[in-house]
Formats: sequence, C-alpha cells, structure tokens
Amino acid sequence: MDVGMITKAILILGGVGFILGAVLAIASRIFHVEVDLKVEFIRGVLPGANCGACGYPGCDGLAEAIAKGEALPSACVAGGTEVAKQVAAVMGIEVKEPKVAKKALVRCGGGKGEVSHRYVYDGELDCQMAQQVSRGPSLCSYGCLGLGSCVVACPFGAIIMGEDELPHINWKKCRGCGVCVDACPRGIIALVPENQEIHVLCRSHDKGKAVRSVCKKGCIGCKACEKVCEFDAVHIVDNLAVIDHEKCTNCKKCLEKCPTGCISNLIITHHLHK
Amino acid sequence: MQRLFLIFLAAFLINNILLIRFIGLCPFFGVSSRFETSVGMSMAVVFVMTLATLVCWGVWNFLLDPLGVGEFLYIPAFILVIASLVQFVEMVIRKVSPTLFKAMGIFLPLITTNCAVLAAATESVKPGFWKLSLEYNYGLGEALIYTIGIALGFSMVIIMFAAMRERIEIAPIPRSFKGFPIAFIAAGLSSLAFLGFKGLFGI
Repeated sequence: MDVGMITKAILILGGVGFILGAVLAIASRIFHVEVDLKVEFIRGVLPGANCGACGYPGCDGLAEAIAKGEALPSACVAGGTEVAKQVAAVMGIEVKEPKVAKKALVRCGGGKGEVSHRYVYDGELDCQMAQQVSRGPSLCSYGCLGLGSCVVACPFGAIIMGEDELPHINWKKCRGCGVCVDACPRGIIALVPENQEIHVLCRSHDKGKAVRSVCKKGCIGCKACEKVCEFDAVHIVDNLAVIDHEKCTNCKKCLEKCPTGCISNLIITHHLHK
Repeated sequence: MQRLFLIFLAAFLINNILLIRFIGLCPFFGVSSRFETSVGMSMAVVFVMTLATLVCWGVWNFLLDPLGVGEFLYIPAFILVIASLVQFVEMVIRKVSPTLFKAMGIFLPLITTNCAVLAAATESVKPGFWKLSLEYNYGLGEALIYTIGIALGFSMVIIMFAAMRERIEIAPIPRSFKGFPIAFIAAGLSSLAFLGFKGLFGI
C-alpha cells in the first residue's frame, strides 16, 4: 500500500467531514427552532401504552394536541383522573372531576362446564381464527370463545384467563381504553360505568329453549327481572334482558329472581375473581 | 433526447429499484402500510435522491476523480456528503416551512443513509458501476435524469404497494400471514409482473 495514498484519503475525507460538520454546526444555530417543552412534559405524564383510545395517533399525538389546546387535559381515557390532574398541572389549569370512569366487562357467563361445544377446536389460540371455523366451537353463537384474544390485546395486562375459561378483568388495572372491546370477534366485552354493580352477563338473543339447550348460564328471556324491577330499569329486548344504567339503583332484586343466574353482581363475579 | 428517454425508462421501469433490484427494502415495507405516509416518503425520496446526485456528481468530478482516490473512497465520501446534506436540508425546512416539514420532515432522517439513495447517487455518478446496456459515463444532465427515474420508480411502486396493502389489511387472510408475510408475497408477485418490462425497446 502506498502511504501517500492513505494519507491523501484520510486528509480528503477528514477535510470534507470537518467542513461539513462546521457547516452543520453553524446551520443548527441559524436555523434553530424552539421546541415546546410542554409536549415533552405531557408526554412524560401520559401512560405511554399508545392504546389510541383518545383518538390521536398514540401518546405523542395526544401530548401535542393537549399542548396546542386542541384536546382537553382529561382526554386520556386510559389514564383516568390521576393523569388528567397531572396533565392539567403541566398546563397550569384546573381540571374538573371527570365523570365516572368506565371499565371493561365480559358479558358472558358461559365458561367451562356451562356451555356445550359442537366440536373440539384444536387450532391456534386466537378467537378470530376459531370464529372462522364454522363460526366457533361453542354451541352458543353469542358466547365467549375462551381463547383469550382479549388477554393478548390488553395493553395494561389487566385481563387474565380464569380456570372457568372465561377472561377475568382486574378492574384495578383496567383503564377503560376499549382495546379488548375491538379484539373480541363476538362483541362480548363492553365498557360499563364503574359504579354500576348489576349487569346481565349474557349476549344471547336466542329464544329461551335454544339458550337452555346449549348453556346453563344464559338469559332465557323469562321476564322475571322485568316484572320484579320497581324502577322500570330492566327490559327484555329480543329475548335478552337489558339493564338501563340510568335508572338502575343497584337494588339487586332482579339478581335474586333470575332463574339462570345470568344477572350478576359485579362485586361477586369480578372483584373476588383475582 | 432518445437517449435521455431510454435512460429514464431504464431507471424508472425496467430496472425498478424496488421491485426488480430489491434495494431500499426497509422503507418499502416500513412505510408502505398507509397511503399518506407512502406519499410523504415518495416526496422525500425524489427530493433527496435528486439533491444527493447533484452534490455527489460535484464531489466525484471535482474532488475524488481528479485526486485519484475515487475508486476506493467513493462510498464513505458519498455517505458523508449525503448524510450531512439531508441533515442540513432538514434544518432549513424545519425553520422555513413547518408545513412542508410536517409532510415529509419525519421521513428525511429515515432516508439519510438509505441504501437506495446511495445506490442512485453512486450509479448515476460513478462511471461503470451499473450497466444498463447503455454506454456508461453520464454527464450531469443524464445523471439527474437517471436518478429522477429511479426516484419516481420508487415512488410509483411504494404508492401502488400502499394501496394494495390497505386492501390486504381488511382482507380475510390467515393470522400467520398478516402484516409482513403477506406483504412480502405481494411484493414478490408484483416483482414477477415487473419482470415483463424486460426487453422493452431492447433495453
């Protein structure tokens, strides 16, 4: 190797690099742009799960929108009151106590032993896949498939699969972002007000006899709850009991009357199931 | 004129940088999942490739070649020049036009040292690097036409592919094929289709 050539190459490349570096350094001074520190701070406060429940592209998008004033400090659904307060503190404004937080609820009681199957599904553990094989292994075409797509989807690790092959949502971890709602191919999971205790844990619109034949826990549309309710809060719509959360006072009378036990007290079904 | 047209066509269709030569795969699969991002990326690529070729042509013809170090120094020198250039342009755009920066600013760092940009610059500037059955020693004009051809070929394919992937996204495909696997299969099939351009006008 020619030493002169090597020196020449080093000098040329070094010289070019030095000049370009100097130009860039000067340019960064001349073309300096103020970055909004608020965005950085707000981004630090947000949960950072990028669940998208706020409607913005990830936590970065929301942080920018809040800093610009396009979104409210309480816009983060997953963060709830705590994050809203912290964001408001960064923005220097007071935040009103937001309305009751929403939590995800699995509206199906047809776990292991309760519901019959028409075939044994031995494929990939994914509800969407199972649903595509003759519309799912379970005889109830409305109930939980029990393969845990919601468990995988949850960005906060709040859902675990119970021994009864139903997903259980830990409401202490659930932030109500609604990702699991979209993950369920049968639309079983819904966001419900946190302070609502009584729920119908069935989605079957089949007639009573058909429900009885496939599931022990399903709503048979017997209207017992409708008759016992003093507040006109429960109605049978298309063979399924529906509770109006505005009118329900959590008096639990329907709970006692329900013959199949598909109306459930959340304190029992969820909070103890951890 | 005919030569310019042939150079453009060769770079644009027949030796398409993405589908025939498979250079620059990371942006091809990375940003082609949505139509808007692929349009932004294409704009940035056309812009950066043209600028890079312009500057590299100068570096080669006035610095590297006369000093006789071009043969072994062209890759580091071109990378250095292109990276600094893109950084500089990014700063300027950020200051001068926030709107334009929003549209393509985030893609600029992505292609700073992208292989596709380096390939386009090297091929159009350095003589005898890649033969297209054409005599190869480009002047500045021809080099620019060639690189614009490559950049537009890149844009056409990435935009077309984004449109395809948006439809694939909602198609009922098995889960194991979702995302990149089906994208690679689609890219392979498109590549086969592009092979049909070989021999067009005898190039």
